[in-house]
Amino acid sequence: MNVKINEEEGKAFVKLEGRLDTTNADQFLKDITPLMEGAQKEIDIDCTDMEYTSSQGLRMFLMLQKTVSARGARLMLHNMKPHVKEVFDITGFSHIITIL
Amino acid sequence: MVLGRKTIANRLSRYVLLISAGLLLVVTLLVGIFSREIIEGGSTEIAGKSLDLAISDIEKVIGEVERAVDNVDWFVQRQPGNRKFMYEATRELVTANPNIIGSAVAFEPGYFRGERWFAPYTYVDAETGEIRSIQMGNDSYDYHQLEWYRVPRLLDRAMWSEPYFDEGGGGQQMATFSLPLKDTTGHFFGILTSDISLDWLSSRINETSPYALSYAALVSAKGIFIAHPDSTRILNMSIFDVAAESGDADMLAIAEEMVSGKKGFKTFHNGERFAVYGPLSNGWSLLVVNSYDVVFMDIFLFNLWMVFFLLIGLAGLYFGCRKVIRRQTMPLVEFSQAAMTMGKGNFQAMIPEVKTKDELASLRKSLEYMQWSINDYIRELKSTTASNERYESELNIARGIQMGMLPHNFPEMTGCSLHAMVQPAKEVGGDMYDFVDAGDCLYFMVGDVSGKGVPAALFMAIARAAFRFVGAMGLPMAEVMQRVNNSLCDGNDNMMFVTLFAGCLDRKKGTLTYCNAGHNPILVVPPEGKARFLQAKPNLAAGLMLDFPYEEECIPLQKGSRLILYTDGVTEAERADMEQFGEQRLLDWADSLNPDVSAHAAMLSLYSRVKEFIRGVAQNDDITIVSVLYDN
Repeated sequence: MNVKINEEEGKAFVKLEGRLDTTNADQFLKDITPLMEGAQKEIDIDCTDMEYTSSQGLRMFLMLQKTVSARGARLMLHNMKPHVKEVFDITGFSHIITIL
Repeated sequence: MVLGRKTIANRLSRYVLLISAGLLLVVTLLVGIFSREIIEGGSTEIAGKSLDLAISDIEKVIGEVERAVDNVDWFVQRQPGNRKFMYEATRELVTANPNIIGSAVAFEPGYFRGERWFAPYTYVDAETGEIRSIQMGNDSYDYHQLEWYRVPRLLDRAMWSEPYFDEGGGGQQMATFSLPLKDTTGHFFGILTSDISLDWLSSRINETSPYALSYAALVSAKGIFIAHPDSTRILNMSIFDVAAESGDADMLAIAEEMVSGKKGFKTFHNGERFAVYGPLSNGWSLLVVNSYDVVFMDIFLFNLWMVFFLLIGLAGLYFGCRKVIRRQTMPLVEFSQAAMTMGKGNFQAMIPEVKTKDELASLRKSLEYMQWSINDYIRELKSTTASNERYESELNIARGIQMGMLPHNFPEMTGCSLHAMVQPAKEVGGDMYDFVDAGDCLYFMVGDVSGKGVPAALFMAIARAAFRFVGAMGLPMAEVMQRVNNSLCDGNDNMMFVTLFAGCLDRKKGTLTYCNAGHNPILVVPPEGKARFLQAKPNLAAGLMLDFPYEEECIPLQKGSRLILYTDGVTEAERADMEQFGEQRLLDWADSLNPDVSAHAAMLSLYSRVKEFIRGVAQNDDITIVSVLYDN
């Protein structure tokens, strides 16, 4: 899983590439730590090239959502591939994470 | 290490040998060149000295002859007219002087009592060696006309004749010294002669030749050979003939210098030979010829010997070097053996001692350090392995406890049957299932905890306990789910969650009430017709949001229907080419299923279908299947 983060005027633009599974979930958590500890008001995650997420990965998104909400910021995921979106839907994560 | 051709000792020795050989070659060449120059200069000197020696040798003989003749002259002057004395005088000359082979005193016509010829002659007979005396003047031998008589008389001085072959007394090649005899008034009355053999001269002058194959030759004032190793040339050839024959300008120059009485040194025959020559007092000239080939033969032989000894020396150097280097590098062999022993697993192998304080000592230090490091590492590895093993065995125990929490007995039930399995992957996962038979209702569920490992296992244990506790209360499905959810949310800072499908089969009413908390849709297989996925509101996985309003749904269920519950370990089972089992294959399997098989057989059938699909590829997630059959 490749994570690229660009910051502009209090907004973070994140691009995810590849598979997010059990083996690299911990690394992913480290990669997104700047987003969790930062002060961005808006976090925009581009999921165009995200191929897969495991339940462990879902948990990471959830933790991100929780910390971001706690500081009153917004998290948005967009351009998710249908089969990835399906995972978010089945587990009900679509209810608590904004997916555009 | 191989003690063959490819040892350091051999290689270094070869280098030493090559370098030494190269240096010695250069030295040999230089020595050769310089010694050649020295020899060349020396040869000229040697030849000059030998020439001088030979000249003085011949001069001595000639001088002796001339002095002897002079002495006799004195006596002859004092005994005029004494015939007998004349014979004796000549005899005296021959006997007293070994160099003189003949002597004559020849008188003017009429000097002795009007006799036309009177010439007593004493000679050594060439054949017998006898000394004979004769009177040689007569009609057939009119000596007054002969050169040896006529020329000195005419020139009025003592002189040496050109060499000639004497057919008279001596019968051999000779040269004659003629002294004009005069009385006290200065009146000429005869000639006193002494002959010397030329054969003798030839051998005499060649006695002193400085080099092998060099030779000496004596030429007369006209250039005719008087003495020469090749006796056929004597009197028959002149040095000019030889020069003309060879066409060698240098030789002609030598000939001219010789007849003009000069002393010199000259090379000829394209510089291959050199000649030294010098005049004698009587007008003759001595020539000594040497060949450079011969002169340099010695130096050539010397060089040959030198090369020979050098080769022997080099061979000694090579073997000596090899022995020394081999001895010096012996520790390397021992190190190599020690390393090999260590390589075979004996890390306590003795490293040989080194007495020197050089690179070998530092190599030994390195080896020692390596050995120490390896042993240290092994110690550490052993303890790590031991703790890993302990950790792993604890994990296995945990796994066993986790699996033990799931029901493994599937009792006979009225109106339905249920079988379930978890095929764990290598890593501890969080799959679970459970069922509670409570009156008309059979509660059952399947779940999948996020993540893997001990956290997942622990979370699963909590979820399963909550379900067991709540399920037995006979509550509505949504209520069951909410309570399970709330108990999981409590203190869940890590955002662990579990996807759960929980259902209640009411055998009396023939309905299925269910609630899906973010789990995969279950499969409903009617006794006739196609299998389908049960549409359900996804709600939200349990453990995430306190008091999430879970909604339940209810469908009537035909008798003979099957319910297949599973986790993503089934649909996401991956074969080698990364293709997943997927939902379509699951539907296909359900459609191909014999409607009469038991719940247990159906479960095994799906499992074997999945195993067949992944074909030996290591399973990456738990595979959990719950098979429910609603029958009479």
